[in-house]
This record gives sequence, C-alpha cells and structure tokens, in this order.
Amino acid sequence: MAKTKRDTKVLATYNIKGGVGKTSAAVNLAYLAARDGHSTLLWDLDPQAASTYLFRVRPKVKGGGRGLLRKRSRTADHIKATDHELLDLLPADFSYRHLDLALDQFKKPAARLRKVLEPLLKDYDYIFLDCPPSISLVSESIFEAADALLVPVIPATLSSRAYEQLDELSRRGRVGKIGGTQIFSFFSMAEVLRPLHLQVMERLRGIEHLKVLGAAIPVADEVEMMGEERNPVGVFAPTSAAAVSYEALWAEIEGRLRPDSLPKPAASPPVETPAVESPVVESPVVESPVAEAPPVETPPVETPPVETPQAQTPTV
Amino acid sequence: MTTDPLISSDRPLEEVQAALHGWFTITVGASAEVERTFYDTFDGLLYHAGLTLSIQGGVRTLTTRDGSQPESGVTAERVAGVRALLPIAKVRLATQILNVLDERDKTVCRIVLEAPVGLRERARLVALRGYERERDRINELLVEGRSFGTSDAPLVDDAVLAAGGNPAGTSSKLDVSIDSSDRADTAAASVLSRLIEIMDANLPGTLADTDTEFLHDYRVAIRRTRAVMRELHGVFPATQIDRLRGEFKWLQEVTGPTRDLDVYLLEFERLRQVAPPGMRPDLDPLLAVLRSWHATAREQMESDLASERALALRADWGRLVTLLTGPGEDGRADAARPIGEAAGERIWRLHRRMVKMGRAITADSDPEQYHELRKKGKELRYMLELFAAPLYDPDVVKPLIRALKGLQDVLGIHQDRDVQAAMLKRLGEQVAVQPGGTAALMAMGALLERIQTEAKTARSQFAASFAEFASDAQRELVDETFKRAAQ
Repeated sequence: MAKTKRDTKVLATYNIKGGVGKTSAAVNLAYLAARDGHSTLLWDLDPQAASTYLFRVRPKVKGGGRGLLRKRSRTADHIKATDHELLDLLPADFSYRHLDLALDQFKKPAARLRKVLEPLLKDYDYIFLDCPPSISLVSESIFEAADALLVPVIPATLSSRAYEQLDELSRRGRVGKIGGTQIFSFFSMAEVLRPLHLQVMERLRGIEHLKVLGAAIPVADEVEMMGEERNPVGVFAPTSAAAVSYEALWAEIEGRLRPDSLPKPAASPPVETPAVESPVVESPVVESPVAEAPPVETPPVETPPVETPQAQTPTV
Repeated sequence: MTTDPLISSDRPLEEVQAALHGWFTITVGASAEVERTFYDTFDGLLYHAGLTLSIQGGVRTLTTRDGSQPESGVTAERVAGVRALLPIAKVRLATQILNVLDERDKTVCRIVLEAPVGLRERARLVALRGYERERDRINELLVEGRSFGTSDAPLVDDAVLAAGGNPAGTSSKLDVSIDSSDRADTAAASVLSRLIEIMDANLPGTLADTDTEFLHDYRVAIRRTRAVMRELHGVFPATQIDRLRGEFKWLQEVTGPTRDLDVYLLEFERLRQVAPPGMRPDLDPLLAVLRSWHATAREQMESDLASERALALRADWGRLVTLLTGPGEDGRADAARPIGEAAGERIWRLHRRMVKMGRAITADSDPEQYHELRKKGKELRYMLELFAAPLYDPDVVKPLIRALKGLQDVLGIHQDRDVQAAMLKRLGEQVAVQPGGTAALMAMGALLERIQTEAKTARSQFAASFAEFASDAQRELVDETFKRAAQ
C-alpha cells in the first residue's frame, strides 16, 4: 500500500469458514481503534451485511460493488458515519455477492481493491475490512490490500483442521502483496473451561510460524447480545469478559503494527505470548472501560478532525 | 448557506419533537453549561476566509461559517499568517444535545440546542457523514414548523456584535469616499481622519506586541499622513504644519528600528537559507543578538509612544484636522481648491520629479540615490492610492500604480539588502563576543557576500523597471490626466 503521511493500516478480518467471529472482531476492534482517537473506517464487504446491520446503517451502496470497483463515483461519497465518534462505515450491498465476477473483469483483479481504498488513506488511521468467508478473487484482492489479516480461529475445531487452516494462511500471506501481509491469528469463541480448547490453544501457540496472538475472545453472551443491542460490546457491557478480551486483543495488535509508537511493553515475537492458562484474565487494559458517550463539551461531534485535538484519548 | 434555525419557543425540545413527528424520533443526549471563546485575527482574516474558530472545554474547532467541515489542509494558522489569533468574543451557553434517529434507530443528525446568555437561542444541526440529506430535511421540517426562524448570521457574529465589535474585524484600509470637486481641505480632512482612526486602532496592539502587523499598519498610516502633509501643504495653516511635520517625522523615526528588526527576525530563516548550507547553524549567535537588539529597540519605542510628546502630537493633530473643515482660510492657500485639481498637480509633479531623479541614476550611483528615489516613489504611491484611485479613471491609475510597484519592488530589494548588509556589519562586534562567535562571523561574512550580490542583481534590474515607469507613453498619459486636471 502506498505510504502516506498518515501511515494508515488496513486490517482484514478473514477466515475461510463462516461463523467464527469475524464480524464481531471487526466491529469491536474498529470501535476500540476509534475510541482511542484514531480515525477509523470499517468496510463491510460481506453481502450478508452483518456489520452494517450492527451499526444500524442501510445495507445499500449506490451503483453496487461494481460501481465501487470501477470508481464511477468517489468511494468517500458512500461512507456513512456510525453513531460512534471517529468511526465510519462503508456499508455492505447485496451486489457484493457478485464481487468475484466484477473483479474478474479487470486486468489485475487482485490489485483492484487496493486501488479503491487508495483515496481514503489520507482520511483514516485504520481501515478494517470485514470479509466474506471464502477463497476467491475477493480474498486475493483483500490479501493485496491489507497490511494484516486478523484470523479468528475456534479452538474447538479438530486441532489438525485448525492447524491446517493457519498453516495454509501463513503461506498464503507470503504470496500477498510486496512486503508481505502480516497474519495475526487469535482464538475466538474460546471456552477456557473445556480441556479440549485449552489443549488446542496451548499446542498452536507453541508453533512459532503460526503467529497466534496471546489474547483470546471467549464465547460469551455479550458477543451474542450485540445483535440485539446493535452496538459493540464495549458500549453496553464495557466490563464484561468479552469487552476486556477485545481490549487486550486490540492492544496486542496495535503493538505489533506500530511497535515504536506505543508506550507499552515492546511487541514481542509470537513465541513470547502470555501463558496459556488465563489469556483472558491477564489482559492489560481492564481499567479502561470507556463507553462511547461523547464528552459533554463536544457537541460538534462531526467537527473536522484536523482541528480537534484528541482530548479524550484514553491511555491504553 | 445553511444557518442554524433560531429558537423562539421556550419549550424547544417539544417543538423539535412536534416538527419532526412522523419522520424521525428524538432521543435526548447530554446537556451542559459551557463557555465558548471565538478567535480571529485583528483584521478578521478567518471571517473573510469564511471560517470560524472556537475553543470550548479545551477542544478547538475550526468550521466554515455555516458550520460545515473546512476543506482539507485548511488551518487557522495558515489563514492567519503572521497575524495573531485573538479571542474576539466569549459566550456562556447552555447546550442540550438531541439525537435524531431514522426508522432503523440510526442517528442521522444531532441537534444541539444552544442557549447563549443574552443572545438569540439556536438549534445547531450537526450532520453525520453520509446523512447530509437528512440534515437538510430536518432543517426544512424545523423551519416549516414555524417555531423556528431562519437566522441571517452565525452565533459568532451575534457574540461579537453584542460585545461591540465588528464580525469582519478591524480594517486598516482607507475606504474614504471623496469627489473631485470637493474642497481640498475637506477631502484632506476625510482622508486624515481615517488615518487617525487607523493609527488609534493599531496603537494598542503595537504597544502590546500582539503581532508585527500592528506596528506595520501603524507606520504605514504615519507615512501616508506625512505624504498628505507634504503634498497638500497648502491646505494647512502655515503656522502649525511645519512643527507637526517634524513631530510625525520623529514618530516615524522612533518606530523605525523596531520595525527593521521585526522584518529581520521574520526573514531570518529565509536569510539563513541564503548562507552556504554548512554555515547555517553557525548563525545562531546572530539570532541571539538580533533578539536582544529587538528587545532594546522595542522598549525604547514603547516608552516613546507612551511619552507626553506622543500624546501631545495625537491631541494637536486631531485638533488641526478638525480645524480643516472649519471656516477661515487665512494662510491656507489651497484650502478651497477642488481636490481633483490640487492632487492632480502634485501627482504630475511627483512623477516628473521621479523621472528626473531616476534618469540621474547609473550603475555606480550611491545607494543613497536609489533610496531617495524610493522614498519619492512611496509618496507618489500614497498620493495615487489616497486621491487618484477614488478620483481618476482606473484605466490610467491602475497601470501607473502597477508600473510604480514594479519599480518600487526592485528599489525595495536593493534598499532592504543595503540595510541588512549595514546591520550585519554593525552586529559583527557583538556577535564576535558570543559563544560560537567566530564561526558566526564567518557565516555572516558569507551571508554578507550573498546579500551584496542580491543588491547588485536588483541594481541591474533597475534600468528595465525604471524604463517602463518613465516611458514616453506613460509620461504622456500622466501629463494628459493629471497635468490637465491641474490647469
């Protein structure tokens, strides 16, 4: 991705399988990035429009996926503000189910998504791509566009399957864009009381090249309640185990992406991830359950970011 | 321009709900008592750029005057340039946020009910990105609902007006309307009264060192005043004018060193770039000496400007200018002459004089000769701006000003470099005793060489720009326009 002054990071939540917590991760991590004062965009690329639904936005993009890829109109014109400060959404559209076909019409289909994102880089610190589960031109295009893939893995899956998936991905990552897309896997829907889960987690974390992160997202009612609440868990249950785990996960991801810019323990190589026993409890950010309520003094919520110092940035 | 609907009801929340009923639902958000301070430069540069800067609760916000996001890359500092951003009004207000939700319960707009103490209450609509159409619709519904009026100006204007200020800032432009047939003394009085206003307006900022433009504008007004005193000598009572001319000369002199050093400091980084790259850091001791000189000069100037002598000048001058419009023409030879005629003659004579002076200048002439020509040029420039621009055909005046400006620019560079070179030489002794002084002296030597080269280049450009100013066609036009008017 072209370097800009902003040094925007593009992160894609991806897994071949569905129902592993991709959307939950995308929504919650994007929310946390914005809450920390980073200008953030989430692009819901999944025609099922789950993230779009969670942010209460109409799943409709004028001109559809084809229009976006062809850059018939400015990508920025389709962006909607969410109810959360600094967090914007590029909504899903039903036509995204044909995105493969649309991509196929370009000379270099894999590079297309990156081209569409390019004009947005100056406006955002983080761009999250919530990807549909598949292996296709769309996923190839996403690998090209992303600086990092965030891969949720359920430790309940037969351990060999989980291993294969990760192994396959870590190799695939290397064939991504020049410079290589980083791959961060993390355990999702983990049941820390089930021996099987613990065993799988322990084993996979021990394999260095899989780069499994230390923080794990537990299976939790709060995550399921997101559909009802239509909000990130940090908003309606900021002290829940799920919310705290997302905080820990985000802190870890950010530390890896920007090792120099954060005043926290240096990002360690994957081997040094925390002990297996209690990944959830050990999360470093328990003390900042900040809800999204905008500070009282800031009614112009949509005021230009250029002139508005991030007054309420909590320290992580 | 979309403006904030004005609230006329004392139950705005209910009114909003009623107006939007059936279209949107409202949830009540945070309320607060806040203090908001608006900022602009003295001359209203943000206002003229269509921007509003405010600080509230430590959060600084720049918007366009209609409350939208400014174009990317626009900052208040960039617009203000060398001018300081000053607090222009402060309001205390009670705010109440209302979230406007669509049928999916998505917030599409925030309405901020603002009740500033003593000012008109408003409903400020803050659109969320991608929901601008909804914002416009909400605006329509509110205004249609009749409980809300449309406003002609943003809150900042209300606040500035209530504080007795002008939302557009304080201009140091002349903007005096005079007519060719006006008596010369009346016309001169109009212009001079305006110049007194400008001096008065800029004096406090000059004394407080708010930014460098105050002193600059103050001195331009002095110079313009002196040009009128000199060129329209005959409209003043002969008994007083010579003494006051001397006093204004004094006023200009005591403000000169500070301005010269202001310019030096403002230009220092550019000047540093003129030195060879390796030597640039060596110039730091020079900067230190310049700063200390500047402080001394400023202290002296401040005491002069606050002195009895300065106060007496201001009072005497004000009285004399008032006297100009009074009866009695004893010793005021040109008082009743039409201004078009009186000014025309002076312009024609000044031009002729400059042509003569310029022709006498050669490449080897003394820098003083260039300087004298430039001073004359300033006088002509002021006469043209003060009197020719409002009274004569712009097709004649504009090209003449342009040609004069071209010439003055060349002379100005020559003069500035000459002054800078002279100052560098004077600074040498003091810089030498600073830590790092020897290296600084060497760098200054290199700098001096470059500066003198630039002065030489300006000299070589003189002939061409003077030729344009003094061309036959130009002289004929000046004769035709101004000499004829004088006869």
